[in-house]
Amino acid sequence: MSRPIRSLTAGLVACRTCGLVSRRVPDTQPSYCSRCDTRLHQRLPGSAEKTLAWLIAAVILYIPSNVLPVMYVSGIGGGQESTILGGVLSFWRGGDWPIASVIFIASVVVPATKFLAIGLILWTLHRRSDCARRQRTALYRLVEVIGYWSMLDVVVVGLTSALLQFEGIGAAEPRLGIVFFCGVVVATMISALSLDPRLIWDVERNSEH
Amino acid sequence: MSVPENELIVCPHCDLLHRSAALGRHEIAVCIACGHTLARHQSFSVDQLLALTVAAALCFLIGNAYPLMTIDLAGMHTEATAWGTALLMLHGWAAVPGVVLAVSMFLLPLLQIALLLWVLSFARMQRPAPGLRAALVVLHRSRSWSMTEVFLLGALVAIVKLSSWLHVVAGIGLWALLSLTILLTILSLVEGRFWWSLAEASE
Repeated sequence: MSRPIRSLTAGLVACRTCGLVSRRVPDTQPSYCSRCDTRLHQRLPGSAEKTLAWLIAAVILYIPSNVLPVMYVSGIGGGQESTILGGVLSFWRGGDWPIASVIFIASVVVPATKFLAIGLILWTLHRRSDCARRQRTALYRLVEVIGYWSMLDVVVVGLTSALLQFEGIGAAEPRLGIVFFCGVVVATMISALSLDPRLIWDVERNSEH
Repeated sequence: MSVPENELIVCPHCDLLHRSAALGRHEIAVCIACGHTLARHQSFSVDQLLALTVAAALCFLIGNAYPLMTIDLAGMHTEATAWGTALLMLHGWAAVPGVVLAVSMFLLPLLQIALLLWVLSFARMQRPAPGLRAALVVLHRSRSWSMTEVFLLGALVAIVKLSSWLHVVAGIGLWALLSLTILLTILSLVEGRFWWSLAEASE
C-alpha cells in the first residue's frame, strides 16, 4: 500500500451528494458533478462560520426553552404548567424513573452534548490543533447520530395534547417553551450539517515533515 | 494518477483517497485514517428492496389510517394519529413545532417511500426511471430530517406517561409505526453507491 493521499493534494474533488470523484477545476468558475449535478466544493463554503452561527442561535434559544413552560395540563383540581425539567422531576419523584430518564436524556443530555461537542470541534479548528483527529471525527459522528433524538419531547407534548381533550376532566395544550425547544433542535441539526469534518484533517501534522 | 477515478472512494469525513474493493458478505470497508464506514456489502437484490418498500408503504398507510393510541373516559373518546397530531398544532405559535412534526414524521417518510417505489419499480423493469437523478438527490438530502424512529419512541413515552392515571390503549397504528421504523432502517442501510449504480446502468 502506497503512502495515503488526500483528494485535496491529488487534485481531485468528491461530490458530497453521490460521492463521484472528479478532477478539480480552478476555483474561478463553479463546477458541477457530472452524475448528479450538485455544485462541487473542495470544502463546504463558510463551514466553521455557519456552524458557529447556528450553534449560538441554538444556545440562545435553549434558555427560554428551559425557563418557559412547555405544556399546560388542566384537571378537576385546576390547571398546572410544566417546564421540561419540572416534568422530569415530577416523574422522578413519582417513581417513574424510566420515563424521567428517557425525557432527561433526550431533552437535556443530548442538546448539552451537542453544544459541547460542536463547540469543542470549532475551538480546536480555530486553534489549528492537530491532536486527536480520529477522536474528534468520532465526536462529529456522535453529534450526527444523536442529532434528531431531542425532537422526542416535541412529539410527546404533541401526542399528549392530541389525546388529553376531556373538557373539565383533563386537557393538555402546548405552551410557548416547546416552540423554542423545537428551534433548539432544528438549529443544532443545521449547525451539525454545516460542519465539514474534513477541516479537522486539513491541519498538517508537524511530525510528518 | 494510475487508478481510474470511478474506482476511487474519497472518505467524506477526512478526505483520504481509497481504492474501492469488492466486499464479501457481511463485510464493510472502513477508512484507515478516521474509521468512517465507507462501504457496506449490498446483500439485497432490487426485487427484495422493492418488496421491503411495498411493505413500508402498507405500514405507512395503516399507521396513518388507524390511531396510534386511544383513550376512553367518561363516555368520551380521543385518539391520536401522526397527521392528526400535527394538524392539531397548526394554529397560533404552536404551528412552528406543528410544521416541523408534519414534515419530519409524515411528509418526508411519505416522500421517501414514494421515491423508493418509483426508483425501484423502474429498476425492476430495467428501464431508467424518469427523473432518477433528481429522485436520488432528494432521497439523499431528506434522510437527516426523516424521524420515524423518534416518533415511535415519543409515542411509547406518551403512552407510559398517560397510563399512570388514565387507561390508554395502544392501537393498530402503533404496531404499524413499529414495523415501518424497522423497514425504513433496513432500507436506509442501502448505501449511495448502489442507488447511483442504477443511474449509471441507465446511461
